[in-house]
Amino acid sequence: MARLTRNDRLRMALRAELIQATFNYERQQGLGWAYALEPALDRVIPDAVARRERLATHTAYFNTQPTLASLALGAVARLEEERAPGADGDDVVRVKAVLGSALAALGDRLFWFTLRPFVACLGVLLAIGGSWTGAAALWLCYNLFHQGVRWLGVGWGYREGPAVFGEALRRRLDRTTRLLGLLGTALVGMTISGLLVPGGVPRTLTFQATLAAGLGVGLIVSQRPRPSPTEWALGAGALCVAAAFWTHGS
Amino acid sequence: MNLPVLATMALGGLAALDATPVAQTLLSQPLVTATLLGWIWGDLTVGLQVGMVLQLLAASTLPVGARTPEDYAVGGVVGAGVALALAHRLPFEMAHDACCLIGVFAGLITATLGVALLKWQRRRNEGLARWSEAAVRAGSEGALGQAHLAAITLAFAVGAAWTAFAFAAFVWALAPLAEHESLKLAHAWELAQPLWLGLGLAALLNGFLQRRLARAAVFGAAMLATWLVLMLGSR
Repeated sequence: MARLTRNDRLRMALRAELIQATFNYERQQGLGWAYALEPALDRVIPDAVARRERLATHTAYFNTQPTLASLALGAVARLEEERAPGADGDDVVRVKAVLGSALAALGDRLFWFTLRPFVACLGVLLAIGGSWTGAAALWLCYNLFHQGVRWLGVGWGYREGPAVFGEALRRRLDRTTRLLGLLGTALVGMTISGLLVPGGVPRTLTFQATLAAGLGVGLIVSQRPRPSPTEWALGAGALCVAAAFWTHGS
Repeated sequence: MNLPVLATMALGGLAALDATPVAQTLLSQPLVTATLLGWIWGDLTVGLQVGMVLQLLAASTLPVGARTPEDYAVGGVVGAGVALALAHRLPFEMAHDACCLIGVFAGLITATLGVALLKWQRRRNEGLARWSEAAVRAGSEGALGQAHLAAITLAFAVGAAWTAFAFAAFVWALAPLAEHESLKLAHAWELAQPLWLGLGLAALLNGFLQRRLARAAVFGAAMLATWLVLMLGSR
């Protein structure tokens, strides 16, 4: 039985960067998944016809949080390696579906709902003083997690197999999400103070009152999905322009 | 066409790639692209003013599941690019505030309209996926690589072209307004900037708090402590 080499796993991690390149409504990440898994199938299925059939099967629907997809890739590559030649791949399909939805549930909470807003807030806090370091901090902090998990994840998934999504990983991701959520809450507070008194100099009363109004309205409207924050921002901006033109004459 | 304009279009293409198709490193986030454009156009202050507002609004827009979120990647580039291009023509400080207001509006409108283009690309990708599967079954193992190359090229081309169109349209249409009504627009910026920042921060706060009292206490304590440090530190 051929085994995956370190080089195969690196090629899979590199291709995982493109898992969403062909994202679509029908199969979502399906094609990207098959492309990322191709180096593993090349290694473990020597027969070209069987390999092509297997590769085509993997282009079916798949969707998960794109960073944690690396863990599922490694685990499924391990299953493909262990699968006896000629055996049907139903178990692989089942594991793929379960891992996809389980990792999406945790990954969306960690990366989209917590880490991304956290680094955005950190970036804005540092940029208030007019520094470029905000953008650098945003990019570096996010990629420390994101690229770290993406590149190491294939190896973890391969070593553990389907057990990669066990209690230990779930607890670790949950803990990280909770900690980042707590730090993020503090960061929003620090950012508001940084906006109110940048460098210790209080902003105008108009600025402070309007920021407070924005916070108040924002907290109320964010309880509902519609209208979206962008639509609220467009409406609020239009009101400000109208108010400025009205108060300063035609 | 000068170098900063070309760089703005190229950055629009790169941001469109980073947002979903390639790597998702957050290079496409408005604060990052606005900082880069601020350097390129030689006015970091205007870039950051626009970038901060668009960043906070973008942070509450999430690409979860099959939802197609607003295109803040191209929106951020167009917003900062339009503000910087207009500010480049107008030397007065008051006019720069007007340019920031126009830039944020340009960014928000571009991000909203860009959703239709993202949906169009995703529907094109459906055909690409069906073609790839058939080609692989027919014996062409390189079909997956070709499909990826095609999708990435399309995403870059659409991103750069949409950036170029939106940038040119907003600069052409709004430059006279920035020149003749800069005073009123600057007053509007005084109101709109904190309102937008507040809206964005509230969405983030709501996401972090999750109705937990302990977190609300942490938020209050952090705000008060930072305020005290900033006020006492300046004396």
